[in-house]
This record gives sequence, C-alpha cells and structure tokens, in this order.
Amino acid sequence: MKKSDKKKKNGILVSYLWSAPSLILISLIVIFPILYTGYISLTNMNVYHWFNYDLIGLQNYKEALLVFDSGFLSALMLTIIWTAVNMIVQLVIAYVLASLLNTKGLKLRNGYRTLLIFPWAMPGYVSILLWKTGMFNSQFGLLNQWMERLGFSPVKWLADDLSAFICCTIVNLWLALPFMITIIDGALQSVDQSFYESALLDGAGWLKRTWYITIPSIKPIIAPSVVITIFTTFKQFDVIYLMTQQAGAKTGAHIHTILTYAYENAFITNNYGYSSAVSMIIFVLLIIFSYAINIKPKEES
Amino acid sequence: MKRIIALLVSVTMLATLLCGCGTQAQSLTEEEKNTIVIWHDKEEAVSEALLGELQKLVPDVTVQLEYKSNLTEALKMVGNDPKAAPDMYFFAHDKIGVYAEMGILSPITDLIDRQTLDDAYVPMTLEAATYDGKLYQLPVYFETLLFMYNRLYMADENVPETTEQLYAYMEEKTRGGHYGFVEQHSTAYYSAGWIHGFGGYIMDGNGNVGLNMPETIAALEYHKKFVELMPGESEYATVNTLFQEGKAHATIGGPWLVSASRAAGMDLGIAAMPIVDESQIPISPYMGVQGVQVLKHAAENKTEAVKKVLNALMQPDVGITLAKVSGCAPAVEACYESEEVTADDVVMAMRETAENTIPMPNRPEMDIMWTVAADMLVNINMSGQDVVTSCEAAQKNAEELIRKMQ
Repeated sequence: MKKSDKKKKNGILVSYLWSAPSLILISLIVIFPILYTGYISLTNMNVYHWFNYDLIGLQNYKEALLVFDSGFLSALMLTIIWTAVNMIVQLVIAYVLASLLNTKGLKLRNGYRTLLIFPWAMPGYVSILLWKTGMFNSQFGLLNQWMERLGFSPVKWLADDLSAFICCTIVNLWLALPFMITIIDGALQSVDQSFYESALLDGAGWLKRTWYITIPSIKPIIAPSVVITIFTTFKQFDVIYLMTQQAGAKTGAHIHTILTYAYENAFITNNYGYSSAVSMIIFVLLIIFSYAINIKPKEES
Repeated sequence: MKRIIALLVSVTMLATLLCGCGTQAQSLTEEEKNTIVIWHDKEEAVSEALLGELQKLVPDVTVQLEYKSNLTEALKMVGNDPKAAPDMYFFAHDKIGVYAEMGILSPITDLIDRQTLDDAYVPMTLEAATYDGKLYQLPVYFETLLFMYNRLYMADENVPETTEQLYAYMEEKTRGGHYGFVEQHSTAYYSAGWIHGFGGYIMDGNGNVGLNMPETIAALEYHKKFVELMPGESEYATVNTLFQEGKAHATIGGPWLVSASRAAGMDLGIAAMPIVDESQIPISPYMGVQGVQVLKHAAENKTEAVKKVLNALMQPDVGITLAKVSGCAPAVEACYESEEVTADDVVMAMRETAENTIPMPNRPEMDIMWTVAADMLVNINMSGQDVVTSCEAAQKNAEELIRKMQ
C-alpha cells in the first residue's frame, strides 16, 4: 500500500519534471507578462519615473476606475452589441457557405475553398486599409464611384456612427469568415452520412435534417471556435481603430469598443503604471465574461 | 540512457532560455569605443547619404546606421541598456522631452561648446532642440509645411495673399469634383498653422494647454467655412492624391510632396503662406527639426568618437548633401552660402517660412495633445459640434490626461 503510494507520488513528480520545460516556457510567455503587468500597475512607472519607479499601492486603480465612466459604459454596451451582431451574422453566413461547399456534385470545390480562404492570407492591417480607401473613401472609393454613376450624391460612409458600424462589421466579417467557414466545413464533413439516409427514409425535409441532425452533430466541434471568435471579436481593436480613429485619419464617427476607449483615455498618457491598471481591469472583465460564457453550455448539457 | 539524454536536453533548453537574463558589466574595448551605432527611421537615400558623408569625414570611427521603423518605442524599452541601445539616434526634435525626462539623453552642450553652436545654426532650430533649458539635439535639417499650387490651374498672379482671397478662390473653383484648396483640415499638425495665425496655440513651450483660448476658438470658428469647401476625408492619402491628380488646385503640404508632384509632371508653384485678414499674421505651421540625439551612456563611455561624429555633422557639406536628398532645409547657416542650396526654391521657401513657424513643442505632454486636439477638430469639422463646447471639453480632457501622466 505504502509502496504504491510512493510510486504514485514519484510518477506525478516525474511527469511534472518532464513537462517542466514547456510549463516554464508557457509561464514565461503567458503568465509572466500578466504578473508583470500586475506588478507595474502597482508602481508609478511613467515618463517621469521611467527607471526609478516605486511601488505606490492601489493608487493607479483608483485613477483607472475613473476611466470606467459613462463613456466606458456606452463603449461596453457597444462592444457587446458588436460582438453579438458579428457572431450571429458570421455563424449564419459561414454555415450557409459551408453547406453550399458541401453540396453533392459541386465542381471546383477546392477552387471555391481557396477563394474563400483568401482574406485570411492577407495581413489584417492591409485588408482593413484596402477596404477603407478602396471601398469606403468618399473621393475614390468604389462605393461612391457607383453612387455617382447611378446618379446619387456621394456618401461619407465612415462619418456617422451607424453607417461606420455597419462598414466595420462588413470588414470584420470579411476577415473572420474564412476561419468560421473552414471549421464548419470540416465539421459538416464529419457528420455520419447514415443519419441523413435514415432521416430521408423517414421523410424528413431539409429544415428538419438541419435542425435535428446537422446542428446537434456539429455543435460540439464548432463550440470552441465560437468561443475563441467571441473573444477576438470582443477585444477587437484593429478594425474599428484603423477604419475610423487612426491618428491623422479620423473620420468623424464615434464608435468606441472598450479597447479603443481605453486606448484614447489611458494609453496615450505614456503612464505605464496607470495603463497597466486599466489593462488589468479589462483583463478581469474578460475573465468574468469568459466564465459567463463557459458555464452556459454546461447548464444546457 | 534515453532518459538521461532527455533530461540533459531539457536542462540545456532551460539553460539557453534563461541565459539571456543575466547582466554582465564590462568595460569597452578600443574597437567598441570607436564604433558608433545610430538608429534612424529615414528613407534609404537619406541614410546612405549620411553614412557616405560620415565615412568620408571620420574614417577612423566605424559608424553603423540601423533602420528602426518603431524607433520611438524601441528606445523606451532599451534606452538605458548600453548593450541594446544605440549610441545616437537620428529623429525629429519633438520626442526630446520624453527621452530627456526618462533620463537617457545627454545634453549636446556637454560635448560641443554652446558658443560654437550659436554661431553655426539657424537660431530657430536650436530653440526647437532645447528642452527645459538644455540642448538635446544637434540639428541637421528642418522642415515646415508649404503653400503649394498647381500652375495648370492657379497662375502665379492669382496666388492668394490673404485667407479671404483664398476663400474667394475656393468658392469660385470648388465644383464638379474639383477643389480650389485642400488640406488635412482635421489633424492637429495642419490645423496648428491656422490656430497660430490667430495667436492661439495647442500647447506652448511651457506645457500650457491652449485649446480653449479665445484666439484658438476664433481660429477654429473661422476655419470652419474653409472646411466646408474641402472633401470629407482629412487624411494624408486622400488630400495628397487629390492634389497630385490635379483635382485640387492648391494645398498646404510638406516637402515630401514636392518631389512626388514634380515626378508626376506637375508644374508646381510654391508661395508664402496666406495672411489671416483679421490678425495680419500668416498661417504659421509647426516646424520639425531632424537631427542627432546622443544617449547618455555613449556620451560618457565613447566621448571621443561621439565628438568626432558630431563635429562632422556640423560641416556645411553634410547639411547640403542631406538637404538635397531629403528635400528639407539645412540647419547650418553656412549652407545657405552655397549656390546649390540657394538655387532650390523649395529649400529657400522653407527657410523663409521658418521665420514665421513655431517649433513643434517637444514636451512629453504633446503625445496627449495630438490625440485630444485631433478629436476636437473632428468634432468641430466633421461631426458639426459647437466650437466653444468642443474646445472647452477638449481643454478639460487634455488637462485631466496630463495630470494622469504623472
């Protein structure tokens, strides 16, 4: 009894030892920066105390909470709407496109796949700026060229909040769809065809097959990617910042997610202690958010 | 056996992972003392010309020019680490305050006599390079915005001398996809010229915020009618493309626009800035001085080599060569005795405009002001918000953010 206990203990120790290098690597890359940010948030590290900073306790957090004013709350609301709209539209379009890709007898299937994955191969920064100048620019953009040809007056697409929000959503979809399509496409292929055959024999229509067979079968496969995408959408910065708020190229729209809001109200101060405190609070918010999402599927099951 | 090897491999991996963390203090070898690393963010033509001149003038010092696209951030990270930091960097003067406050810069006057500098340089450039009473940059060349026009549309005698004349021209010519005049109306760098033209400022040299000054408000109220006759976009690409493609007759732009426009075959004219009717002050844009800053560790440990490089950079030849490739105006007075320089209308226009320009503030607070002022301008010019309310709100916001810097 005692011997086997000791053996078990040894086994645990050895397995930790074997995984030590990767664990250390992970802690260096993931955990250390978080802890370090936490440490910096307790100091007065800023331009005036760059190398000679001191611990000042929770003072930065007191200041940081001031960022979380009414402006922050509306930014938070907008972030939630932004995430929800993007996720729903993304799932629907990706599902439709992936289903079409899986249509029986489709020719050039791989060609379409490559085309659909193309936006992913471009750096996001380039795509966003291409959309901004190539499509939405009021002087040279394709949309306004069309408007003019059709006899309408040119529109400032990115100047008011609603249209800027829609434009940003379109660009975000363009960037995010390849990932979703790939995942759903793969998931669809893993569904056992015999289910469909028996369903067909029972006389189930397309809607019923989709609702009772396809969606339940692919749900566990796409769930992790949906969670990941919710996060990337929630903490999206590039699309909204580059489209509407880039320094020197602001368009007049005031759509702020929590990150662009925090950027304009904290990070430009060059006060690293203060910005770290803001980051830590956002980090905690994200953790709570992820917890809230993660408990949901469990409840359902 | 296998296990032992695996263990050894893991230990080696760990050791290599962590070995970068240690620091070693060692004195410099003769060779290291004679090597000067300069970071820069300039185009190749400028850096090659600079390197060529330095190799010619100080053959006994090995100069290495390293391109850094994110120079300002990189310096913040490694500025006080002699092993990773450069010895000098070649950049605009407006970041001096940040690095001086961080304590990584050495005053130039520790290396070169102040009187020598005063005798050699255009006074405005030295003023720009001074932060908190100390000179932190050896200026090389400077740039300002210029009033440019396309002679195809705007004849020399029609060039507006006052802002009201400019407005009349815009009213007459802005139609059918053509613009009489375009500029990046809602960015702080360009708007500053108008604000200065009314006697206001975004931030003065002492760090006072001037966004709600009556002069600033008057300038923005007045500027609004010009914005109405300009395109909705205010960014660099749109404005410059409109001008270069001949859709805009005149613009306010930097020297970088000159070579591109001339290469495109435009008959480009350069004129003095229009004078604001109300204040009788011309539109007075910011001036940016490009030059060399010396890091503290280099000034202390490589004094001789640093001095040699700085002295070489003070030679008029360097100024002339660099002005030519960059299209900017040399900072050394003696350069203007050369015909090569005086024959260049762009450089001479900049030299003249420099009399009315205001050096970009080099205080750390400017990082905040660029964003806050741009927000304010967008609110006024593009979202149609009330000028006074926007200015008051921006002033409050700026003061609050500046308080948070400390």
